[in-house]
Amino acid sequence: MMKKSTGNDNRKSGSKQLRFPTNTSLILFFLRGSILYFAAGAVCACLVALFDLIIPRLIQYTVDAVIGGNLSSVPVWAAGLIEDLGGVSFLRSHLWMAAAAVAAAALAGALSRYGFRVSNEKGSETFLERTRNQLFRQILALPYSWLGENSTGDIIQRCTSDVETIRVFVSEQLTSLLHVFILVFMSLYFMITIQPKLTAAAAVFIPIMIISSLVFYGLIGSEFETVDSEEGHLSAIAQENLTGVRVVRTFGREKFERERFEAQNEFYTNHWIRLMRVLAAFWVSGNVIATVRNMTVAVYGAVLCVGKELTAGGLIAFLSYNALMSLPVRRIGRVIADMSKTGVSMERLRYIMNAVPENAPEQGEACNLQRTETAEGSGDLSGPVQDPYSLPEEIRFAPMDRDIEFSHVSFRYREDAPEVLHDISMKIRAGSTVGILGATGAGKSTLMLLLDRMWELPPEQGRICVGGVDIRNIDRGWLRQNIGMVLQEPYLFSRTLEENLAIAMPDKRDPENSGFEAVEQKAVHRDREIRRAAQIACLDEAVERFADGYDTFVGERGVTLSGGQKQRAAIAQMLIRRTPVMIFDDSLSAVDAETDARIRRALQENTSEATVILIAHRITTLRHADEIFVLEKGRIAEHGNHDELMAMDGIYRRVYQLQTGAGE
Amino acid sequence: MQETQKKKTGQGRTRLFGIPLIMPFIRPYVPRVLFMIFLGILSSLADTIYPLFNSWALDHFVAERTLDGLPVFLFLYILLMVLQEADNYYCLYQCGKVEVEIDRDLRNAAFAHLQTLSFSYFNQNSVGYIHARTMSDTERIGELMAWRMMDVVWNVSYIVCVTGVMLAVNVRLALYVLVMVPAAAVIILYFQKKIVAGSRKVREINSRITGNFNEGITGIRSIKTLRIEEVMRKGFEEETEGMRRTAVRTARHGALLTSMITFLSSMALALVLWRGGALTMEGVIRIGTLSVFMSYAVGMLEPVQGIITSLSALISIQVNIERFTGLLEEESDVRDTPEVIEKYGDHFHAKRENWEPLRGDVEFEDVSFMYPDGNELVLEHFNLKVPQGTNIAIVGETGAGKSTLVNLACRFYEPTQGRVLIDGRDVRERSQLWLHSSIGYVLQTPYLSSGSVRDNLRYGRPDATDEQIREALHMASADFVVERMEKGLDSDVGEGGSMLSTGEKQLLSIARAILADPRILVLDEATSSVDTVTERAIQDAIAAVIRGRTSFVIAHRLSTIVGADVILAVRDGKILEKGTHRELMHQKGYYYQLFTRQYEESVWAGS
Repeated sequence: MMKKSTGNDNRKSGSKQLRFPTNTSLILFFLRGSILYFAAGAVCACLVALFDLIIPRLIQYTVDAVIGGNLSSVPVWAAGLIEDLGGVSFLRSHLWMAAAAVAAAALAGALSRYGFRVSNEKGSETFLERTRNQLFRQILALPYSWLGENSTGDIIQRCTSDVETIRVFVSEQLTSLLHVFILVFMSLYFMITIQPKLTAAAAVFIPIMIISSLVFYGLIGSEFETVDSEEGHLSAIAQENLTGVRVVRTFGREKFERERFEAQNEFYTNHWIRLMRVLAAFWVSGNVIATVRNMTVAVYGAVLCVGKELTAGGLIAFLSYNALMSLPVRRIGRVIADMSKTGVSMERLRYIMNAVPENAPEQGEACNLQRTETAEGSGDLSGPVQDPYSLPEEIRFAPMDRDIEFSHVSFRYREDAPEVLHDISMKIRAGSTVGILGATGAGKSTLMLLLDRMWELPPEQGRICVGGVDIRNIDRGWLRQNIGMVLQEPYLFSRTLEENLAIAMPDKRDPENSGFEAVEQKAVHRDREIRRAAQIACLDEAVERFADGYDTFVGERGVTLSGGQKQRAAIAQMLIRRTPVMIFDDSLSAVDAETDARIRRALQENTSEATVILIAHRITTLRHADEIFVLEKGRIAEHGNHDELMAMDGIYRRVYQLQTGAGE
Repeated sequence: MQETQKKKTGQGRTRLFGIPLIMPFIRPYVPRVLFMIFLGILSSLADTIYPLFNSWALDHFVAERTLDGLPVFLFLYILLMVLQEADNYYCLYQCGKVEVEIDRDLRNAAFAHLQTLSFSYFNQNSVGYIHARTMSDTERIGELMAWRMMDVVWNVSYIVCVTGVMLAVNVRLALYVLVMVPAAAVIILYFQKKIVAGSRKVREINSRITGNFNEGITGIRSIKTLRIEEVMRKGFEEETEGMRRTAVRTARHGALLTSMITFLSSMALALVLWRGGALTMEGVIRIGTLSVFMSYAVGMLEPVQGIITSLSALISIQVNIERFTGLLEEESDVRDTPEVIEKYGDHFHAKRENWEPLRGDVEFEDVSFMYPDGNELVLEHFNLKVPQGTNIAIVGETGAGKSTLVNLACRFYEPTQGRVLIDGRDVRERSQLWLHSSIGYVLQTPYLSSGSVRDNLRYGRPDATDEQIREALHMASADFVVERMEKGLDSDVGEGGSMLSTGEKQLLSIARAILADPRILVLDEATSSVDTVTERAIQDAIAAVIRGRTSFVIAHRLSTIVGADVILAVRDGKILEKGTHRELMHQKGYYYQLFTRQYEESVWAGS
């Protein structure tokens, strides 16, 4: 089993050894911890049905035996019980006893109903919590490349509406199916003991109701989807209009926009109206069936009563049973129609849960199972996770303040995609500052993605080494912990500015010393670090302008920062980590030239021992680097320091002239 | 952001859940709604009658052991059913129709109003917030108005009918059932409050969890590079645990409520059995009557719950109505006077026949300006003549307020004091649409709408031929973008242009502006994320495009604007210097500082 596999096989091995081969295995996995609640709920559901059905029975006996004085119509045991209680005449004068029996059954019913609802809800929420947690863990553990290949909106939809569909399936649909099943069978049993012929007449309607409900929801399902997607279009028109408000105004197209919106609005509304007609028809047809059934029972029951085959109390009980069953049975079609969606949702979640995580051992069933167990038990993602190779510590956690060397690196994102990098070799000396210049799409960011192991370099496509150790042998967590990277499109979390910086700070927990003083000291240290990072990144001056300073809420639900402010915040976020390697991936593009220069100067003064890689369009940003690599179409076209490159009269010089206007 | 919306919700406007506020939108439906209410009452009446049939069957057929009158019985039963179901069908259908039609009207009104609002509104409110006002609030108003109202009608009239029948048949027995109603109402009201508050909390946590998912996915690269997976996971699991606790607590209240209500119904049943049974034995009532009372006892409390649920939903409608009317009451800072509208038309009805051609002379005359949400003047007694065809460049640091002049020239804002003249006349003398129809705007963040490349390019000029489109693409050096796409001009650009890179979007938005052939062109830092070579090509295209047009270029890289006719250097929102490159360099002021700092190396290298 331990045959050495190639990089390509690694990716495929996921499909050979799926973590969740079937929908059932996935749902059982998610159900851990909640299944007992559901089981308790099912027991309670049986009790609910039992007590609900007993009440009409009690009434029947009371009406027939006590009020009607006809002991022959009740079963022998009931007649015996009545005798024991003092006989019909005693009960007639103490009718409250019958009422008390009904009340007692009602109380028991209420208690079991409460038990059912609460345990079902507990199960449902526990299930939801576990499902979401597992999905979130999985998403954090998946390789960056996987998330890049799938659209964000789609994944979020899977994690929200598909999860909801499955939750509804488990906690509502399965339960109501069970409920109907119990109710139908128990009430049929109770009814048969009263009058078999009448039971048959009433039972005929059950399949009719179920089938008509099924047919209807089968038909209507696609209609609902159309309406939904039409609503989506309408919503998108509004969204686009709002986002592009400047474009709309400057082209003077308000009228066009309004007409477009109103046309779609009308279309959508008419769709709904058509659907309403069908819905109303269905609801009414359900009513008709229920009424006809009630009429049948009343009339046929009366006929049987006349023929002395049924008592008045029996008829009353029958009518009650009819009423009890009516609604749950009508809903069953809806439940079953919705259940068909569950399979699809489950598939969609399986797609996420079966994707191979970054640190998963690449082969072997035993390893796979083990991985599942540990992920379960510890829940730890960030600590060193066991690597496929049992390499010694000094390799997996090799020191990172060493030379970084790319040798003959070629790379393509997919097998059928064009090559992005071709035979790149470059050496970045520890502690030096290196610049990379290149046009959009030249492969600059790809290089950094490979260095950070966001994408894995296939074995035969060259090597990237730090201090002579191939980074594929270095623990990913360790690697990233030591490489600080500011991204081209910085991302801030929806928290305060301060929390955004603090979140990045390595947590040096000291278990021996966790007293009050230590906590306080830690807070002081944290504040100092935040201020220092903000100062170097020239973020402090921007912060001063905010009313709430560092407590300003940023990100999705907060104040939107300008592109330059975001970049500066991201730089501070990286600086706070004090990493031996720092990468700026075109991360000064949105700040103006003046701030750019100030940040670079501050960086130089404060982080002179770190290895710095600067990626930029702007030559002024790179100008002072010890060495500059010019990337063109995935190849290194030129390299050297500024003077050498200027002397070369190549791309660098041309770009330089373009940017400074010196050629004119 | 939300704070700005909270203003002016005066008292006395909150009567009737705020429904009077949207009366103009409801009025057309009033006759239909009244008819629906009438039909709803009839339907409840029918529901009340069904148990009487059962009772009659018990008292007549069963008690008297005869089948006489069975055909009449059947006929009446079926007749009632047919009538009621016809009534129900019409009522349900109309109710749904009224719902979506009110929705539609409200949405149209909101959307149309948004088209007339000025930029300050869009700057102060997030897209998500405005979108929710237009789409979700309107939807809730329609739903609540139609369905909840009908629910109340059905349930109230059912209770009234049943009470009437019961009182008519036997007052004593009726009271045993009715005594449960206030008891139930008190219990329901008590729990309803807790349940509503609980579910609001659950919804809030739920949307935070969705936000967390969003963050975990869109921010994954940052999470991985910062190595904060564990922090994120812990934060997430705290949220989901909080969600479970809150939801279970709320569910307990719900479960308690349902159990108590069904128990109370059964208690009413037990009371009827006890006292009614005695009355039956005494021969005061017949067995059929007893059965009718038992069905009423069981079915009486559910409507009570229905009424309270619907009413509490109706109370919540007030928030939606206020948000919606708040949007409609929002007044644009920039409005055309009635006389201008009379002559030039409004946002939707252009009277193009009265439009003077626009040449493109722009003049700022003693302009002072303060942003509506700002607290200091960013322009003070500013004067500038921009004759037709002049190329104005605006430079300065990020966030220095470079867009202000453009916002004024385009009349996205109006001066606090002084005038902006277009072709020698105050910009307020002509309609906004007149001006905007002659402006081309290329944005910092280019924006395309979903649809084909052709649709997007033709946005500013709906009648452009493919020939003209290709010409514009060529001028913008954007031919390659379209050539690369599978279906050429018919290719879909995706929502917000998501199928294209930022650079490509910029090129297309330049081509779009070119195609519209505007007299005034605004380029807002349009070239900042394209690589140098492409950027050069775009600049050449722009140089060709702005020839003969009045243009405002807001640029980062100073080398791109050296040739501008007038350069304005902006700092902290104020214009510090103006002049040509040569003049400003001579002046050795702020521009000089900016320029030399950006190009210190070039000076130092002596090239």
